[in-house]
Amino acid sequence: MRKLYLLLMGVVFFAIQANAQRTITGKVTDEKGNPIANASVLVKGSTVGTSTSATGIYTISVPASAKALIFSSVDMTSQEVLIGSKTTIDVSLKAEDKVMQEVVVVGYGTQKKSDVTGNIATVKGSAIADKPVPSFDAALAGRAAGVQITTANGVLNNPPVFRIRGTNSINLSSYPLIVIDGVVTYTGDNSQTLAASNVLSNINPSDIESMEILKDAAATAIYGSRAANGVVLITTKKGKRGKARVNYDGWVGFTQPTRIWSMLNAEQYMMIKNEGLSNVGAAPRYLPSYTNDGKLINTNWADVIFRQGVSHSHNLNVAGANEYTSYFFSIGYTNQQGMIRKNDFDRKTIRFNVDHKVNNWMSVGVNSSYANELNEAAINSGSLPGAAFASAGVGRLALSLPPNVGVYNNDGSYNISGNAIGKMNNVEVPTFWNPQPMLDNNYSTTENNRIVGNAYIQIKPTKDITFRTSYGVDYLNTDNKNFYTKLQGDGFSLGGTAFSTLSKDKRWTLTSTLQYDKTFGSHSVNLLLGTEQQRSTFEGFGLTRQTLSDDFFTVIQGGFNTPLTAGLGLGENYLASKFGRINYDFKKKYFISGSVRNDGYSAFAAGKKFGNFYSYSGGWDLSRENFWSKGLSKVLNSFKLRASYGKVGNISGIGNFSSFSFFSSGLYNGGASLAFSQAGNTDLTWETSKKSDIGFTFALFNNLISGEFAFYKNNIDGLLLSVPNAPSTGMPNAVLQNVGSMYNKGVEITLNSTPVKGKRFNWNTSLNISNNTNKVTALAPGVPFITTATSLETPSITRVGYPVGMIYVVETRGVDAATGRRIFVRADGAEILYNHQAPVASRWTYRSNGQVAPAINPGLDQKVWRNTAPKYFGGFDNNFRFDNFEVSALLTYQFDFYVYNGTRATVLDQRFWNSTTEVLTRWQKPGDVTKIPRLVYADNVSNGSAQPISENAQKGDFVKLRSLTLAYNLPASLTSKAGISSMRFYLSGQNLAMITKYQGPDPEVSSNGNSNTSQGVDRNTVGNALTVTVGLSVGF
Amino acid sequence: MRKYIYSFSAALVLAAGFSSCVKDKYLNPVSQTALSDATAFDTKPRIDGQVMGIYSGLKSGQLLGGRYFIYNDVRPENFLSNDGNRVTARAAWEFSETSGDNEVNNLWAACYTTINRVNVFLEGMEAKGNAVAGADAGRFNGEARFSRALAYYSLLQFYCRPYWDGNGARPGVPLRLTAIKGGGYNNLKRSTVGEVYQQILADLNYAEQNLLLNNGTAILNTTRAHRNTAIALKVRVYMSMQNYTAAITEANKMVPAAAPFVAATGVPNALSASLASVYSTYTTNESMFSMPFTTVDPPGTQNQLGFYYMPLGVGGANGIFYLNPSGVIADAGWTATDARRSFVITNGGKQWLAKYTNPGPFLDWTPVIRYPEVLLSLAEALVRTNNTVDARAVALLNAVRNRADAATTYTTASFANATALTNAILQERNIEFLGEGIRSIDILRLGLDFPAKSVPGFSVSAVPASSSAYYWPTPSEESRYNALID
Repeated sequence: MRKLYLLLMGVVFFAIQANAQRTITGKVTDEKGNPIANASVLVKGSTVGTSTSATGIYTISVPASAKALIFSSVDMTSQEVLIGSKTTIDVSLKAEDKVMQEVVVVGYGTQKKSDVTGNIATVKGSAIADKPVPSFDAALAGRAAGVQITTANGVLNNPPVFRIRGTNSINLSSYPLIVIDGVVTYTGDNSQTLAASNVLSNINPSDIESMEILKDAAATAIYGSRAANGVVLITTKKGKRGKARVNYDGWVGFTQPTRIWSMLNAEQYMMIKNEGLSNVGAAPRYLPSYTNDGKLINTNWADVIFRQGVSHSHNLNVAGANEYTSYFFSIGYTNQQGMIRKNDFDRKTIRFNVDHKVNNWMSVGVNSSYANELNEAAINSGSLPGAAFASAGVGRLALSLPPNVGVYNNDGSYNISGNAIGKMNNVEVPTFWNPQPMLDNNYSTTENNRIVGNAYIQIKPTKDITFRTSYGVDYLNTDNKNFYTKLQGDGFSLGGTAFSTLSKDKRWTLTSTLQYDKTFGSHSVNLLLGTEQQRSTFEGFGLTRQTLSDDFFTVIQGGFNTPLTAGLGLGENYLASKFGRINYDFKKKYFISGSVRNDGYSAFAAGKKFGNFYSYSGGWDLSRENFWSKGLSKVLNSFKLRASYGKVGNISGIGNFSSFSFFSSGLYNGGASLAFSQAGNTDLTWETSKKSDIGFTFALFNNLISGEFAFYKNNIDGLLLSVPNAPSTGMPNAVLQNVGSMYNKGVEITLNSTPVKGKRFNWNTSLNISNNTNKVTALAPGVPFITTATSLETPSITRVGYPVGMIYVVETRGVDAATGRRIFVRADGAEILYNHQAPVASRWTYRSNGQVAPAINPGLDQKVWRNTAPKYFGGFDNNFRFDNFEVSALLTYQFDFYVYNGTRATVLDQRFWNSTTEVLTRWQKPGDVTKIPRLVYADNVSNGSAQPISENAQKGDFVKLRSLTLAYNLPASLTSKAGISSMRFYLSGQNLAMITKYQGPDPEVSSNGNSNTSQGVDRNTVGNALTVTVGLSVGF
Repeated sequence: MRKYIYSFSAALVLAAGFSSCVKDKYLNPVSQTALSDATAFDTKPRIDGQVMGIYSGLKSGQLLGGRYFIYNDVRPENFLSNDGNRVTARAAWEFSETSGDNEVNNLWAACYTTINRVNVFLEGMEAKGNAVAGADAGRFNGEARFSRALAYYSLLQFYCRPYWDGNGARPGVPLRLTAIKGGGYNNLKRSTVGEVYQQILADLNYAEQNLLLNNGTAILNTTRAHRNTAIALKVRVYMSMQNYTAAITEANKMVPAAAPFVAATGVPNALSASLASVYSTYTTNESMFSMPFTTVDPPGTQNQLGFYYMPLGVGGANGIFYLNPSGVIADAGWTATDARRSFVITNGGKQWLAKYTNPGPFLDWTPVIRYPEVLLSLAEALVRTNNTVDARAVALLNAVRNRADAATTYTTASFANATALTNAILQERNIEFLGEGIRSIDILRLGLDFPAKSVPGFSVSAVPASSSAYYWPTPSEESRYNALID
């Protein structure tokens, strides 16, 4: 556009200055001698110019007064050449050091990337825009060093586990602070239904221009008390100079489960289960049933529960800008079907961003968005936090329901018996629920209506001073609706039930900043002062109704006998802050920077509300030193050192009134009761992280390879711990106390390269790898460890001297070849065997002498076993372009960690539950060496159902082909005829392949969501989905 | 123009500075949904509310709201498991409870939650509440200490050897008697069984002296302790301690010498003429202490007696336990015309207990202490003390039997010796309190075996008093955080 403009201007000037004195010709090439087309050639100090032809040739008539020509081209460093008496000027342009010229968004402002002394990774919005995920955070996996994203499972819109530089808290949140266009936003799952609802999905990913991930103290300390987990700055799109552009992006996709467990079919099931019976001398209890036409009933329950989902997405935006005003308007619609039946996501979004320069000293602007989002489910996925053992959890039902019974009876009615699946011809009574009536009749939906917006006014009374004040609002209204049929499941014993809740999250943020930028000769100074207030309120209420008066009703407003309250909540918090930052550099060679923030937070105890946070940092661009410009610069053409230190805090997850002790009301015999309900901590105050970071950025061989290296350490003090109480204290809660300490340290390496850069073929590659070591150094006095339950079992422990959230199991040593019994190891090292067939008092025996041993006591015999946080993780991204074709592939990997595969206990349980085909390798006779003990009817101990065992702690290391895209760009020559400026088709696959030895569907899993202390647990969780999409982008 | 810009900007800066004044009311919010601990004893209604809060601790579905009864009933011989799900008392039924099981952890926690509520209450009353409550202070403290006694008694039935083993010398439970309102109090060793029983008796003696003779209404006499309630619990406690003399002394405080055995003092506790109304209106004079439920205050899922005992699908029940055909219902002496037989129903070829028939959400009140228990305890204590076929004991036995079965009347001639009479009384208790949490207590206090039982494909052998399975292991959560527990 600009070139066209120059060209036109040139023509005009040509016309005016018809008496041009001379003509200069030449050729513009790159460093390798390849011609550069469309390079701009401009007479210095004038608007006279031209551009090169496809072969790099130019001809320009210059006025007699012209002294020099300026040559420039996209991605190239512009070059100035004196004309003198020359009539031919050939120029070789150097590739621009693009990275260093980029502007990055920082807290409360922007900075040139080359000036930044903090550790910031940038991910472009385009990298994630067309990914078939509801929210941007899920698409960040592998994109930046130090950023670990774990997609917990295939439930739609379930927040991923998001960690920057390790787990930085124990009882507070470790989720990063997310800031959208300068306003801190809500995070987490706000659903009160069976559907997941990551509130970040209210932001349409295709509206995002860039995401800056702030990692060290220098970058984050300006966010003070909320910076400990790192900060992600989301910047939405703005219009770019030129006429309005219209873009449409759309895709259609197909989603299905992948790598699901291989279960026994009906025949195998009956054979295996009856063997467990015959081993105890009992008659078969698992007997075949037949369809009307005499075929053996053989139900694959995974087919009942999972599906191939169809999804589509459409985004349309109009954007443009002139000298005064820029605007971006978008609408988006997506409807996505998850791999679990009836798990759907539907979102409509509108965004309007406008910035307007009122005059030469004042500008104003608005960023605003509205989203309506519906998260739907019909049945418990069993895969969200707290649901691992949910009776309706489909993760477990898909594995456990007997394959030799049908979904329906032969007469077409549901195969149910009371609140359980019917046993058909079996003697054994299966007590799990038939999912079909629930899938058919239940609903559980969370609808969000959200408005996020901020308006600003900016005044520049002088060239150097900028005053800006902005007011932002974030209103999230959530409507949860549930209905459970009385036919089967959770509604059964209640005679059918409905419950609905409404909740309102409201937040306002008022930010005022004063900025001073000045360059005095070689000295540049940038000063920022600001104040900010943020107030958040929450209110929720709802209704639970039970016992349908008539089966006709399926809504809360219908007829029911019992009304109860639900979802009552009232909360508020307030953060009042003052902050400042100073950046200074000398000749762009030496940089120092400092920032400070004072935060006052309402949730802390009286007298302890205020905290100070700060950072200081420095940078040294060695490549600008004279000594560098010699031989070294030929190899290492850029090298910048930086270091930072600072103190930041964490408040995310502290209850609004945690410092208080309370008595709460309840009911007894219809009258009001009052009971001690919360023990507070009147000393409750800040949890602080002291972060140090040292690293360098570099470029080799004239930018052929560039990269970044960082070493960091984060010392967390005054760690807020919910210090556990022995149950005999009768305490109503674990009191949050500033007692623990922990550190994370690690190394991050990022390498970028364009090994091949040609006119027809291009290859870009980027590799990042991070290593993180976490260690808890102190918990509460007298509390050497804290265990964390996954619903009904406790497979996680946080212990001083170990990383947070280790696997915690009873050690087992395989199967005793002589007896076929599982070998358990007691805390004192004794090996004891378990035989479920024996009378209760004599089931445990010493392996050494066969004498009766005391039962395993998990409280005493469970051991700290293996780490769950990967020691190494990262991503490897490759983009190939050949003419109009593009291929991009992103591999992500995590190494050196373990997963507690509790699901394996489910699939080897010897009750009526179905098993995986692994059970076919069971022990059958003395001498058999196998991992599966002798089958004993109803045995729930040998394989880990009764207590977690080390047998089920498995290595989780994986390399995953997270995304693969094949795209074709229609040639401009073709599209321009139709008035289309660009058109792109693509075929993309997510989660297509994985290399791992893990036995479950996916080692990238979390049964406990973002919990800090119980990561790496796979308990009856559905695996991740495989998605294939076909897409189209058109620009006008 | 410049001047204008400057002044405008200055005004804005000032405005921003002003607006950024910290709002104290936002920075120091006060909860609108809970009362500060500083004010919990300020008014009599709040103190009264706390007494109710203590009762609601007992009423927890993990405790007297449901599961305490279920565990006590399914460990003995009268019920058979219809469901392998461990979390609905299967483990209790098959004596395979481990320290990590939720049932083991939750019952313990529910008892101690109530105990700490009592301790917090007693401390607050001492500091402030007694003055506020005035004349009612003694009664409130009495209700609290009655509740603490009941909670400790409940713990002793599950986590310890019975009293007869070493005369209370065996390990009991940690005796928590001071208010815990913050962290740091994890470690406390077990007191002996005897020490815990002594504390229970001390609490009950205090309660007896301070509770009202009569709470005024039938509902309050059922849902809140009165003097006879404390005495009745003391009878149960002394029976568990095999101190029959003391049990007789206590029971005689209310039970007259002869039929119709209407309590002579306090609430006129008596056998209800209508057996059915005991389980439907809940507030007859027979119900000395029950846990009440309302539609807005239900027992909670998987805790309700009806949910466990009613047949699968009936009223939304889960049919988790059915009646053992060779359990107490096999007793030929329990005649077909006995009104208590109406609580045994047949469904799907199995027999089920139908005392708690309200459909989901299962709001039947749970009967904690009924008057016939006092009568039968007295009868048994008399026989054991006198070691004869005691005429008053026979009369007491007849009172209970005849209310349900007028056709069967015993005479002293019906029993060959004292043992025969004791056995008849025990069997009467087994019939009368089927599904009311008494059977296990009787087995424990007498050192009997838990009888063997079986369902198709699975059998549970008898658990003798010497077995480690006779009582439950220490909850794993307690082992983890109380370094002195074992």
